[in-house]
Amino acid sequence: MKTKNIEKVTRPGTPHYVGDGFRVHNFIPGTSTMQRMDPFIMLDYNSKFNFPATDKPKGVGVHPHRGFETVTIAYKGRVQHDDSSGGGGIIGEGDVQWMTAASGVLHKEFHETEWSKTGGEFQMVQLWVNLPAKDKMSAPKYQAITNAEIVKVALPDDAGEVEVIAGEFQGNKGAASTFSPINMFNVKLKKGGKTQLSFPENYTTSILMVEGEAKVNDATTAPQDHFVMFKNDGETFMVEALEDAVILVLSGEPINEPIAAHGPFVMNTEAELMTAFQDFNTGKFGYLED
Amino acid sequence: MKELPNFKKHIIEKCGLSETEFTQIAPFIKTKKVAKNDFLLQQGEICSHSFFVEQGVLRFYALNEEGKESILQFASENWIVSDRGSVFFQEPSTYYIDAIEDTLTVMLDEDFVNRVAKINPDFRKQNENLLQNHIRHLYKRISLLLGASAKTRYLEFVAMYPDMLLRVPQWMIASYLGITPESLSRVRKALAAENFKR
Repeated sequence: MKTKNIEKVTRPGTPHYVGDGFRVHNFIPGTSTMQRMDPFIMLDYNSKFNFPATDKPKGVGVHPHRGFETVTIAYKGRVQHDDSSGGGGIIGEGDVQWMTAASGVLHKEFHETEWSKTGGEFQMVQLWVNLPAKDKMSAPKYQAITNAEIVKVALPDDAGEVEVIAGEFQGNKGAASTFSPINMFNVKLKKGGKTQLSFPENYTTSILMVEGEAKVNDATTAPQDHFVMFKNDGETFMVEALEDAVILVLSGEPINEPIAAHGPFVMNTEAELMTAFQDFNTGKFGYLED
Repeated sequence: MKELPNFKKHIIEKCGLSETEFTQIAPFIKTKKVAKNDFLLQQGEICSHSFFVEQGVLRFYALNEEGKESILQFASENWIVSDRGSVFFQEPSTYYIDAIEDTLTVMLDEDFVNRVAKINPDFRKQNENLLQNHIRHLYKRISLLLGASAKTRYLEFVAMYPDMLLRVPQWMIASYLGITPESLSRVRKALAAENFKR
């Protein structure tokens, strides 16, 4: 199989705050356009950051989403979310929340109250995955995937393990159901450990160095907190940990449909965007107190 | 020249200039960046320009003797905001203009209008249209403030400013509508009770 070569290694840029609780580096669409990264349309990465103890949890207040899915991967810290349907829950360390906003969700996300009281190290990824046009107005749903439910595949030679969040790794299927083909893994390698990853050539593929440093394709060093995007020129790439490493691997089939995006709404046409604003303004997403 | 897609569109589509004419006026275009929370105009100053918003959100407001803000106008992309009275009569303003988001503006004044009018005389007429339209809008706004229910004021507001609810704090919207933040919450809750189907 042909090697998938690196297109670009991006260092984490100046962080900005989402609300007052998420100090993030934006990699998508920062690194490239939504169209190029399709089906991954947004990636905010809160690299390890120490939040001081507080009685007033930090986070982001009430806001809507329509037309896509939000995936929150908690590496350090805990987040509580509540929505206008009365749903809610806590995303703990190692857990993944896969929220299908689809036709519309109004929600808020804050550091969990008890966690806020002590504060500490916080590290998280929030990713937006686009939905095919036919699914954009389907009913919202949640997949709360606890770390215990995530399939873990041990690598040979005691190299480490792969957590399969979505998609398939060496015949092992992830817990999350998706609307288009998506692979999402946490590759956890011990120092010196290596593994090969294979995805179809046309899939949009990238990795985020959540922990440690790795060598990609025996050639390029990917330092911690850097984002590596691959070309669509082959199927296979190799990662080798230069120190204990956690690598978030994303690979998905492009949906290849028009994108009309404005703030928290990602639709196919400008008219659908206008409808999204009207629906939000007139209460069709429900109501939630700040 | 800096990319000003919104201003270019405004000049070509609203004011009727051609692409070539836009290129000719490009050297006269002055822009100003204003960071979130910074002022373009403060009480006591003479307002020198109208500000076309290329990117961002501005608000135009007054402070009463107790320090309470009343927001007269928001200006997001493609809106123009100014204390026209202060500009025209060259008198100190009683208002403030500040940025709610980091904002890029195009600064418009009499000199700019004269220069553009030399290139295309219709520009003066288009400018007057904008002014008359603004006056029409102000009549409507006064009548809503004097006579309409909180719900009607809110619905008129979101029809005119579709994305503002996501960009500015609720209390500012309440200030613009002339209602309390609690009253705005009640209106939004009632609309959700009517329209939210799950």
